[in-house]
Amino acid sequence: MSLPASFLQQHLPLVDLLDLRSFSEVCQSFAELYRVGLKVFDDNGNKLVDVKVGNADFCGYIWTKPSGREQCIATVGRVKSDHLPEEPAPRTFECFSGCRYVAQPILYEGDVMGRVVFGPFVPEDLHELPVTLRRISTDFDATLAGSYQQKIRRVGVPTAEKILRHFMDLVDVMVFTGHKNLIAAKLHIEAVTESYRELADKNRQLEESYAKLKELDRLKSNFLATMSHELRTPLTSVIGYSEMMLEGLGGPLTSEQREYLGIIMEKGENLLQLITSILDISKIEAGRVRLVLSEVDAAQVMRDAVATVLPLARKKGLKVSCEPGPLPRFHADRDKVRQCLVNLCSNAVKFTPAGGSITVTAEKLPDERVAMRVTDTGIGITDEHVNRVFEVFYQVDGSSTREYGGAGLGLAIVKSFVEAHGGEVSVTSTPGSGSTFSVVLPIRPPPTPAVTPTGPIPVVRR
Amino acid sequence: MVQFNADTREIAVKVVYYGPALSGKTTNLSSLFQKIDPKVRGRLMTLDTKDDRTLFFDMMPVFFRTQAGVKVKLKLYTVPGQVMHESTRRIVLQGTDAVAFVADSRRSEAPSTLAYWNNMLKNLEANGLDYRSLPIVIQMNKRDLDDARREEEMGDLRRVIQPPIIPAVAIRGEGVVETLYALLQLCYMSLDRQFGLEAKWSITEREFLGKIFSHVDLAGTRLAIPASPGGAPSR
Repeated sequence: MSLPASFLQQHLPLVDLLDLRSFSEVCQSFAELYRVGLKVFDDNGNKLVDVKVGNADFCGYIWTKPSGREQCIATVGRVKSDHLPEEPAPRTFECFSGCRYVAQPILYEGDVMGRVVFGPFVPEDLHELPVTLRRISTDFDATLAGSYQQKIRRVGVPTAEKILRHFMDLVDVMVFTGHKNLIAAKLHIEAVTESYRELADKNRQLEESYAKLKELDRLKSNFLATMSHELRTPLTSVIGYSEMMLEGLGGPLTSEQREYLGIIMEKGENLLQLITSILDISKIEAGRVRLVLSEVDAAQVMRDAVATVLPLARKKGLKVSCEPGPLPRFHADRDKVRQCLVNLCSNAVKFTPAGGSITVTAEKLPDERVAMRVTDTGIGITDEHVNRVFEVFYQVDGSSTREYGGAGLGLAIVKSFVEAHGGEVSVTSTPGSGSTFSVVLPIRPPPTPAVTPTGPIPVVRR
Repeated sequence: MVQFNADTREIAVKVVYYGPALSGKTTNLSSLFQKIDPKVRGRLMTLDTKDDRTLFFDMMPVFFRTQAGVKVKLKLYTVPGQVMHESTRRIVLQGTDAVAFVADSRRSEAPSTLAYWNNMLKNLEANGLDYRSLPIVIQMNKRDLDDARREEEMGDLRRVIQPPIIPAVAIRGEGVVETLYALLQLCYMSLDRQFGLEAKWSITEREFLGKIFSHVDLAGTRLAIPASPGGAPSR
């Protein structure tokens, strides 16, 4: 890769280094001060500045004569183009009219950038019009020419050279200042352009990897959805046939066989539940959750959920109470609300040791919302984990030897379902003495979105 | 890349002083500005910010004409050290013919020195330049400070890093001329190898260095004052 060529590498002509308008003004006032004409050429002989002072009539008269015009052009050509040594010293040019020019190269950083020509002026030692002038034409009017010449400044060559040297110092400073300003401006633009190019490049790379990640994420969700479905089908048969055998459809069973079949069924159902959760999550991540809204009786849903976990709670020796209180009916997807409560209650049962209690309560909040809470007297959650328990696959104890099982999907599903309703979930907990999970739902969910608003859920693996 | 102009018989050589912020790059150039005869150098151009730190770069031209009539123009640049001026560093480094890497000798500055060294290699590469063939000299500056790495520690560095290492206290002008001399020596060899300075342009190393260093105040340096004008100083 290579950068575009910087202007630092380029040769800059004089015209780029000077602000021509203000430079012309300086030349103008300088020429007027000394009452001598001033011309500035670049290194290609192009005239950048031309100030005429006092010589218009004199030179104009000479131009009326063909030979005068010819010689004038030749003189100006010499002054403009004759080689000047590359050193900061003036050189004098003589005009056939008796006038003089002094010229000096503009040197900058060791380069000749152009030249300054000071003149024409009349040298102090010129007392009469030279023969070379008088001979340009037979009808040459010496008196008239002499009177015109009076208008041109009379000055000694050494003085003229001194004035020019002074002017060259001025030009040097102006060229340097102009160069500095030009570099500052140009480099600023180049630096900004280069930074932009770099950022655009990085953005493009980021966009590419983002697109790649999004595609991978989509493939993962698809895979999960497909696999869950494929796993469920044979599992249903396992459970179904076990159930049929238990009902004696395959003939009488011994008590041991019944016990084994019971275990097969129970574990099968656990597995089914897990697979269903994965399917739910993949649907949520793919943004495919649809709410089927209807009038929901909160008390009924709460009792349903409690009934689902009751057998397990009893087996563990836990006390479960359901206190719905007076609640208005609200609009929600009944199955999803029920599943939320089941997930919360299952968690409570899982993390509460024998002898503890679980309480499910509900209340109407002032701003047209209802809150349902599941409180346990379990092990609680420490501060470092409390904010992350709703993340997908998050486990407070992520070790393979952990005491409590599960896929880390239950709470993530609760959060997604509740948020799809325009509600919110929260948890307060004291390690060692218990936790309270709250689900707050609006009595009427906002008309849209009916799908989960959170988009893909951040996946955390431990 | 060195620019040759056969029509005008000119050679333009670019030298860049690179290094971390506040390592002394501008100090090097200011010191050279003081020591080099105004006849062979231009003004020192500094584009700085209000806090007196280099915004874009400093630049100083040095020029001479050889006996064979070739005009040699040497432009010395510094890069801005602050991290945010990354793109400017890359732009200034474009087409460079030689690099003086100015490092702060203090132990506390070692990490940032290393970071800028790597940064330079990256920016050279971005400009299509190969650091293995480019003339590079490392100046270990600020040798007078308490925390400076000692001579033995520098010996270790010398075994690891290929470029010559020149100790300096740029603020007092020490080692500044030596750095430029060592760099231009390498630079001449590299240009001669690639473009035949001696064969095609009749510029010998003696003349190349002599034309510059005969116009440099060598007092207090380890370089000998040239016996005759135009002659090269020797170590």
